[in-house]
Amino acid sequence: MVDAVRVHYQAELEQLEASALGGLELVREQLERTGEAVEQQDVELAQMVIADDDRIDGRYLEVHQSLIALLAKQSPVATDLRLISALLHVLKNVERMGDQCVNVCKLLPLTGNEPPADAELLGRVVAMIQHTRTLASQAKLAFERRDVELARDLVRQDDVVDDLNRECFHLALEIGDDADKREWAMTMLLAARAIERIGDNAVDIGEQVAFVVTGLFKEFEDASHPEQ
Amino acid sequence: MIEQMERPAIAVRPEEFRQADSGDREKVFELKGVGVDYGDAAAVKDISMDIRRNDVTALIGPSGCGKSTLLRCLNRMNDLIPAANVHGELLYHGEDLYGPGVDPVQVRKLIGMVFQKPNPFPKSIYDNVAFGPRVLGRTESLDVTVEKALRGAALWDEVKDRLSDNAFGLSGGQQQRLCIARCIAVEPDTILMDEPCSALDPISTGKIEDLMIELKEEFSIVIVTHNMQQAARVSDRTAFLMVELDADEDNRWGRLVEYDETEKIFTNPADRRTEDYVSGKVG
Repeated sequence: MVDAVRVHYQAELEQLEASALGGLELVREQLERTGEAVEQQDVELAQMVIADDDRIDGRYLEVHQSLIALLAKQSPVATDLRLISALLHVLKNVERMGDQCVNVCKLLPLTGNEPPADAELLGRVVAMIQHTRTLASQAKLAFERRDVELARDLVRQDDVVDDLNRECFHLALEIGDDADKREWAMTMLLAARAIERIGDNAVDIGEQVAFVVTGLFKEFEDASHPEQ
Repeated sequence: MIEQMERPAIAVRPEEFRQADSGDREKVFELKGVGVDYGDAAAVKDISMDIRRNDVTALIGPSGCGKSTLLRCLNRMNDLIPAANVHGELLYHGEDLYGPGVDPVQVRKLIGMVFQKPNPFPKSIYDNVAFGPRVLGRTESLDVTVEKALRGAALWDEVKDRLSDNAFGLSGGQQQRLCIARCIAVEPDTILMDEPCSALDPISTGKIEDLMIELKEEFSIVIVTHNMQQAARVSDRTAFLMVELDADEDNRWGRLVEYDETEKIFTNPADRRTEDYVSGKVG
């Protein structure tokens, strides 16, 4: 009957998908160290996270360039075209997730040595980071398995992150009158905001999974029309 | 009857056609269970599809899938092959194209054809284009007709100073555009193109593709192509045919697998076999 052809092209596309999704593994590692740096208020570790963002940026540039070359040389269509379009989105999301880790880590030196940390607020921020690690892993798995249900479940997981973010806000409001403590709390809110965005990026990747599988792009949740 | 059939009046402007919902567009051809046999052997089986006015419709598929055979059904070119037998229902503007009393010559006047290899007559450029109108007795204002056809085929500026030169002196791409000019000089309703660019270089191919997009304002075009990117670039709708084999793999025939908007075929085809073919994953 018919023989499979374009095996080299297929192998290259598979390898590029693995590299792009591997970026989520790098994000997971960055999140792990970011969590530890926040929990310990460890400025040294935060500096390492900032320096290591170059690995994620490098991955972005390398895979992005290869995908563009593949588009130019192989004229992919149908599922392959949707996959490449989705991988370009995923790369952008991964790069943004890495940047948000950097944003969190850049905040830590601002709180000074032995900051007046509030255990409850700090615990919420660390819990947010742990949850976004789960989100990054789940987004990768959903993409690899082309599992739309698992991708949709990212919304539920992200809701946990959003709830924690809101709790952080209320805890910061009630932190008291001490000026240093208030400044620390404001800095932690900025960190929480950055982490909250990482969760949103994971959901965006989930939406790309649905696009690859179904050919239709639709946001899982429309923030501007939440009633729909 | 086709003999009395005039070129249908254009009720609305072509751009309005394109804005209309695809389902509302006037049908040029309606095929219902069309098959072609060469003697005892089936070449294509059970083709059902509508071809819409002012569309470029592409027929794609591997060698031997019957796409050229199907194309030739549309202007009764298969009549010229004694063993060929076309069955099923094939309507042209609602009339049976193979009905009794239909004159194939009249059919081919309304439904012109451009072939794979440019085939100008060994005559001057002018006489090539004027050939059809002369045969039809339309000799009044022939110069105007020739110029209009050459302009329509995007060739006028290149040949206007040497209309009396032999057509064989033109390049391959120019010869193919001359054949298109010759086709449109008799004011057909539909143009069938059988791999019109396969013998041309990329620049000439680009010119013919641009031309197709311009010509569809006025004509309906059906094109057979092996070049899937060409189908993606120029066509509005694409039909994918593939080869079917019987249990013993002794007999093979073409079958329509999927027919849809070109964008759908090349971004999200419904059938796995279409996906594999347009992706180039199977030969």
